Amino acid sequence: MQPILQINLTTGETSELVIPPAWGRAFLGGASLAARLLYSSLTADLDPLSPEAPLLFLNGPLSGTAGPAVGRFVVCGKSPATGLWAESNCGGFWGPELRFCGYDGLWITGKAPRPVYLWLDDGRLEVRDAASVWGRDTYEAQELIKAEIGAPNAHVLTIGPAGENGVLFAGLFCDHGRTAGRTGLGAVAGAKNLKAMAVRGSKKILLAHPDLFAPRRSEANKLLKADNIARVTHELGTAGVANYADYLGTMPKKYYHQGTFDNVDKISGATMTETILAGFSACHACVIACGRVVRLADGEKHKGPEYETVVGFGPNLLNDNLEEIVRLNELCDRLGMDTISASNTIGLAYHLFERGVIGEDEVGFPLRWGDTIAAGRLLEMMARREGIGAWLAQGSRRFAAHFGAEEEAVQVNGLEVAYHDPRGASGMALVYATSPRGACHNKSDYFFVDWGQSEASLGLEFFDKNGGAEKAANVARHQNWRSVCDSLVMCLFANIPAEMVIGLVNAACGYDLDVEELLRCGKRGWTLKRAINNRLGLTRANDKLPRALMEPYPDGPVAGYVIPLDEMLAAYYSARGWDPQTGRPTREKLLDLGLEDVAADLWPASNV
Amino acid sequence: MPAKFPSAEWLQGLVEKLNSDARYAQVAKNWEGDMIIVIQPAGSLTQTLYFYLDLWHGTCRKAEMLPALDGVKAAFVLTATYDNITRILLGQLDPMQAMMTRRLNVQGNMAYMMRNIPVALDFIRCAREVTTEIL
Repeated sequence: MQPILQINLTTGETSELVIPPAWGRAFLGGASLAARLLYSSLTADLDPLSPEAPLLFLNGPLSGTAGPAVGRFVVCGKSPATGLWAESNCGGFWGPELRFCGYDGLWITGKAPRPVYLWLDDGRLEVRDAASVWGRDTYEAQELIKAEIGAPNAHVLTIGPAGENGVLFAGLFCDHGRTAGRTGLGAVAGAKNLKAMAVRGSKKILLAHPDLFAPRRSEANKLLKADNIARVTHELGTAGVANYADYLGTMPKKYYHQGTFDNVDKISGATMTETILAGFSACHACVIACGRVVRLADGEKHKGPEYETVVGFGPNLLNDNLEEIVRLNELCDRLGMDTISASNTIGLAYHLFERGVIGEDEVGFPLRWGDTIAAGRLLEMMARREGIGAWLAQGSRRFAAHFGAEEEAVQVNGLEVAYHDPRGASGMALVYATSPRGACHNKSDYFFVDWGQSEASLGLEFFDKNGGAEKAANVARHQNWRSVCDSLVMCLFANIPAEMVIGLVNAACGYDLDVEELLRCGKRGWTLKRAINNRLGLTRANDKLPRALMEPYPDGPVAGYVIPLDEMLAAYYSARGWDPQTGRPTREKLLDLGLEDVAADLWPASNV
Repeated sequence: MPAKFPSAEWLQGLVEKLNSDARYAQVAKNWEGDMIIVIQPAGSLTQTLYFYLDLWHGTCRKAEMLPALDGVKAAFVLTATYDNITRILLGQLDPMQAMMTRRLNVQGNMAYMMRNIPVALDFIRCAREVTTEIL
């Protein structure tokens, strides 16, 4: 592995951290390695917005190669939204470019005395005054910084006004709307007076066995390009699954309270392709190119929304106007906010307005389902923390609690639920309840497994999408696999057999892993994140779903179905080897995974 | 008319089923598009088979076994090995599972297909119901 560049923004000191080879093999890279590196510094009394809070950007062992959909990086720390483990990965070109600088990561601590941005030019670091870009939106900031440093080919990762203003779901943005959106790490950067990081590199990525890697990545890319899911994602974008998600009842509508919405096709990826699609955008060396470029009535090209955003600003708000979704998506991106949490929190505001919990006195204007003008106004108010926006900016849990309606917020542990309803794909119930970062659909996109992506090479089985406890071990196994993907850091759309992934990792790193050992790396990372959260105060009581998801839909394809969460959780703890009383990984499990120091912390001698 | 798969009799049985099944007629009432099913050699099958079906508004207007494609085109081409096709027809492999795990390749207009997955699934239901035996 290449070293990690450590930067203290308070003192300006830098150093290089070399990763022990044993950690490289045990944790692979990316999110799992970040968990290992940050374990001791993520304490319960650490304020995520304090100078001491770490912000760790890491690549994986395949990042920057021409492997299948591996042009991603991950950013980790402690979430200001959840108070738990924070992790968000992002595509584009920034991660590979960082690797071309000779670093596999950036570890940032401290707080700059004034707003700054970093300029890492082929390994040479410069901390520059950000006065010219502070307050600018993410699109403007990227262009201004590239002009200021005279490097149009550099890649800039930046926060927007939301990150500067401490919005708890602010993200980091680069390239054509590529986003590390979840868990509020944009606010962590903002609290450090860190506006952006520009990178440009020319160094070659060294592989252990380039002669083996080249034909394997070529074969993997060829297979991926021909894959049904990849072709749907390329041709229709990730919103290409909208019609099917609606048909199965996995697409939430009206803030998770309505099972049907007649006009889903008007906002689907299929319709986007047939009406406003003007081009594609791809992350580094990706053969899928799921990114959309659309042209609206204004004649201008814009980023086309992906599935989460389509649903969040579409059926979630009972809006069927695709152009309005594009507009709200761009507004959210420019302001620097996660579209899932932002749209979810706006949905909550509409929901509370309809129920009379809040009114025009609090909001300043009416909130009626389908009103996208009001949604846009709320986004602006959130990002600038104006009026009711000051409460919206704290996310749905705190917003609802402020108005005495915490049970109404559709979130888990402070992270807003993504747009894959567990009542339509029950595996997502366990995923949301146990994800290390709150209600996340990316730590395991198990809805795909519930639809049929039960990859035999991973030993996954196919269960009824509305099944229960029988699928718990399968969910855990899939989480382990996605933990591997987050370590590599490989896109979830790289639908290739596990053996192919192992071939690439072994050729890149000189390992001799097999499927079970690779999954064990994933389990180790997953378990470590759980232990971090346990140390931060998470208990079994946190493993739950919000009220709305535990109630049956009154209509639609899954009307009447109630998730058997208690039975599923009991089976899950058993499959995981976690203590059923505390929800902690058992001492034996931690020792088995080589996490001796963690076992000693979670299970002090007096408690063993 | 249940029949052994793969055979001309099986294909004829499928046509009759599609043209008499009320549920398929309803689900596929807006479907417009012909289809070629390519069955690749595996197991006991030693040569590629091609089934052509012209599907239109909940009916099958024409179906035939082709000796070769010879330039024949269709709106959709479904390709799978003989083993995987037979597993799907016998209910041992879910068709969506097959599509999502690279065991059933679908070529054609993906926008149309994604809007009409229920039609594709009901087509397979009909095919299953006429399959009594695998040769």
